[in-house]
Amino acid sequence: MNPISHRAMRAWVGLGPRFLPFADAASAEVPLSRLLRLSLVHVSVGMSLVLMVGTLNRVMIVELGISAALVSTMIALPVLFAPLRAYIGQSSDTHVSVLGWKRVPFLFNGSMVQFGGLSIMPFALLVLSGGGASHAYPHWVGQAAAALSFLLVGAGIHITQTVGLALATDLTSDDRRPKVVGLMYVSLLAGSIASALVFGHLLEDFTPGRLIQVIQGTAVLTLVLNGIALWKQEGLKRMTPAELDAPRPRFGDSITLYMQDGAALRRLVAVGLGTMAFGMQDVLLEPYGGEILGLAVADTTKLTAALAAGGLIGFGTASHLLSRGADAYVMAGRGALVGSLGLALVIAASPVGSTTLFAMGVILVGLGGGLFGHGTLTAAMNGAPEGQVGLALGAWGATQATAAGIGIALGGVMRDLAVTAGAAEQFGPAFGYMTVYITEIILLLATFAVMSSLLRPKGAQGMAG
Amino acid sequence: MDSLDDPNRVWPTGLTIKESEALHKHVIDGARIFFAISLFAHLLAYMYSPWLK
Repeated sequence: MNPISHRAMRAWVGLGPRFLPFADAASAEVPLSRLLRLSLVHVSVGMSLVLMVGTLNRVMIVELGISAALVSTMIALPVLFAPLRAYIGQSSDTHVSVLGWKRVPFLFNGSMVQFGGLSIMPFALLVLSGGGASHAYPHWVGQAAAALSFLLVGAGIHITQTVGLALATDLTSDDRRPKVVGLMYVSLLAGSIASALVFGHLLEDFTPGRLIQVIQGTAVLTLVLNGIALWKQEGLKRMTPAELDAPRPRFGDSITLYMQDGAALRRLVAVGLGTMAFGMQDVLLEPYGGEILGLAVADTTKLTAALAAGGLIGFGTASHLLSRGADAYVMAGRGALVGSLGLALVIAASPVGSTTLFAMGVILVGLGGGLFGHGTLTAAMNGAPEGQVGLALGAWGATQATAAGIGIALGGVMRDLAVTAGAAEQFGPAFGYMTVYITEIILLLATFAVMSSLLRPKGAQGMAG
Repeated sequence: MDSLDDPNRVWPTGLTIKESEALHKHVIDGARIFFAISLFAHLLAYMYSPWLK
């Protein structure tokens, strides 16, 4: 070790314990302030998601003149990393460190990766647009840099979110988890809404300089928020030499062990089917309202708000009921049913021509999505086997994020296929949308069936009633 | 867990040399990632708007 490192290392041991990033004790009772700090990880995830999917989506196409196909490819790139969540979770479960840390190193590295992606993103986008002197360089330079920045931010989000949820599960007991899940979801939504408003305001008068300030400001804020979030969350748990030298379980073995419980696979299937169904209508509700029901742009934008409001009511209701002992599977199953009822109303709105019916349907879809999301995450946390919490949460996240991505893509493709096949001329313009909505209802009913099979006999009666 | 009178522990933190090394490694790794990112960001910034010209 070089002399500077040696001196720095000596400084660590000379510091007071107050200044070290370990929790004083891994106590059973975790105060709310600590959970609130941990939820900051989800605030920064919400911030990055809004930036990539919302704000930059528009900026790249309108202000920077980048082709829409290239933009959607960039935005879709992080979804490719989603299946790796299971691996990230397993790695954190089996991480070996003299300090006994399992989650904090991943949170730190994930934050650095997310920060890195955001730091290079504005320059990458400016080079991609061919602005300034960058047109002298080949196109692939900008494309590769932009792809790298999106991949890094995506990977950072996957790592911090997976490990953040695993840490939340480690810290809380079964009965408090529903409230924790609610807190994490609300933080994500709050982070998304607040940053969408701030980004919109800051980028009103667009200049390349402002773009750099906004994205790099987000990068710094990500590091600050995640730093506050991970501070003193994990206690110092010294490992014995035998524990340090013990071989780490391989990923394949861990997966096999996890899947031995038949319920694990069925749980993931239900999560995948349900999330895909809820994701399919995401990009179609607004065009459906405009094209089929003739709503104005301002009205269709309110739809997104109605969907989010329904989601929040769903999370709130699920938090309240689950913390009073309701079954998480029943909650998720009911979410699927409420969602399919909402979609039925959305379908019915077209022949009747009723916007009220449509609005009610949208709120119900949001509500169902909220109940389903909360129920499945709580079930994943509570069903995580000892020592495999990260893997269980990673598998949940991998399935959820991949299914949402596939759902959104599939929704658009199915509608377009129905239109290009000429069916729209034969059956009316609503045909493409109806095809998607009916497929969603079928998927949600299948989700309900799989969820029902996971219930304990007592719960089954509750669900049937 | 080690006992409190472990002679390898250095007070006031109570960390052993190995533990402080592990902590230090995280700091150094973070600094390395930070350096690589800033290098790449500067390269892209140069492509967009070359300085010293």
